[in-house]
Amino acid sequence: MNLKELYQEIILEHGKNPRNLRKTEGFNKDAKGNNPLCGDNVHVYLKLNGQKIVEDASFEGSGCAISMASASIMTDLIKGKNEHEAKEIVEDFLGMIKENPELQSKYLSEDEKTKLMCLSGVKQYPMRVKCATLSWHTMVSAFDEKMEEVKTEN
Amino acid sequence: MKIDQIKKEFPIFDEKIQNNDLVYLDSANSSQKPKIVVDRINEFYTKQFSNVGRSVHYLAVAATNLYENTRTSVQKYINAKDKNEIVFTKGATEALNLVANTLGQSYLQEGDEVLITELEHHSNYVPWHFLRKSKNIKINFAEINKECEITLEEIEKKITQKTKLISITHLSNVTGAILPVKEITQLAHSKGIIVVVDGCQGAPHLKLDMQELDCDFYAISCHKMYGPTGLGVLYGKKKWLEELPPYQGGGGMINEVKKDRISYGELPNKYEAGTMATAQVIAFDQSIKFLESIGIENVMKHESDLVEYGQELLQKNNSVKLIGNPKNKGGVLSFTIEGVHPHDIATILDEDGVAIRAGHHCCQILHDKLNIPASARASVGIYNTKEDLDQLNQSINNCKKIFNL
Ligand SMILES: Cc1ncc(COP(=O)(O)O)c(C=O)c1O
Repeated sequence: MNLKELYQEIILEHGKNPRNLRKTEGFNKDAKGNNPLCGDNVHVYLKLNGQKIVEDASFEGSGCAISMASASIMTDLIKGKNEHEAKEIVEDFLGMIKENPELQSKYLSEDEKTKLMCLSGVKQYPMRVKCATLSWHTMVSAFDEKMEEVKTEN
Repeated sequence: MKIDQIKKEFPIFDEKIQNNDLVYLDSANSSQKPKIVVDRINEFYTKQFSNVGRSVHYLAVAATNLYENTRTSVQKYINAKDKNEIVFTKGATEALNLVANTLGQSYLQEGDEVLITELEHHSNYVPWHFLRKSKNIKINFAEINKECEITLEEIEKKITQKTKLISITHLSNVTGAILPVKEITQLAHSKGIIVVVDGCQGAPHLKLDMQELDCDFYAISCHKMYGPTGLGVLYGKKKWLEELPPYQGGGGMINEVKKDRISYGELPNKYEAGTMATAQVIAFDQSIKFLESIGIENVMKHESDLVEYGQELLQKNNSVKLIGNPKNKGGVLSFTIEGVHPHDIATILDEDGVAIRAGHHCCQILHDKLNIPASARASVGIYNTKEDLDQLNQSINNCKKIFNL
């Protein structure tokens, strides 16, 4: 166990000053997620343009440093990707958070991979995995236009 | 009273938890178990096991006697008038569901009002919500004051002509506020209102005297009382338990079963359908003996010293904000740290072996009222020391350091 790995500077920084913590104007996809055990909640907004590319992504909600940082980093790097790319990145991220040692998606730049890998410390804290994954599941739900709220069980 | 000696009776404190000594500050959630309780379960299963109340063989008779002995011990411990006023359940949650369900079947009518408080645990709200759905009763909430207390005056203010029942916690599992249950009961009874008490946090930490409190029902959670999980106690005044219908149907609770009619058993069997948590009931006798051997006055003194000490420590720690400041307070310290989410606090404290709880502690109504999604909670038991609270404070400082506060 290593707290330093879990709470890296970049996570603390994103947790404290989350990017895209707002509601996208003119969003055309959104979904809510909540973590009933912790009371954490998130609302993800996406704005897709005519070519189905994410023009803007944002979120509202409250939660721990891990969940805020995760949502912050996610909404940043998903901009400019299309649905297919975004979903592949989600799969890659979820795989990494649970077991894979590295990220593999060709849709992620090295810089983006480095940023996301900062969340890999969560692996050692099984109770906290759902904090890191809530916003990602919620984004998928927004793409799929699922009406019911996402509830994370890891 | 030597706390080191008492602590030695709990085997868990001999364990290293992730290479740390355990600083267990989560007793409001569930207490640790003394060796005599653990041993009793083992002994019963290895040397004395039989189901109770059904067979005439030697072991069955002996087990039945042991089971009933605990009932008598509980009766004495809480000073109930009659042994049959003690019903075993699977937990306080089931005890409260039993009360709501049976009162809903035969006593509460559409339009009747049930008064609860903003401090209630979900298990003292959701069962009444079921009746709001099925019987159209109304639920009113007595509100907390600035110190997060529920006063007698507030209860009085919220009573209406239609109030039939008041259901309140004895001691808040978040703010530690101790409610004036005796006074509330006097007031309620003067208006013909029934009083149900969620005694989960009261029973392990306060002196219990049912005849003095005079409430109609009192729910106890044995796993918070140095006892086994899967067990609760419902105290109910005999007149109510006799008058109300059964809760669950099955073996053990019946008198006579025919194709066209069924009659139910007498108390306490009437409310104990099916095979009960036999080993747990028998071991719970040892929990009571354990508490009696210390003496509840000593427990109360020790825990109130601890909470006073902890409160002072945390008040002095800037960026820590304690939730509520009730005059009459049990061993619960809930807090937030500006800039650190409770889950992050709990994870960081855990690294030092400090076990606390983070979340809404099954009290969403209260957290909504306080406008916070969650809080961190340190709660004490008989085995805790001032050193534990020093460690808590030190780990909180570490947490602040990690978050650059
Ligand atoms: C105030 C309060 N009420 C009810 C409960 C539920 O008790 P049990 O676990 O015995 O069902 C708890 C424990 O979580 C509690 O703290």
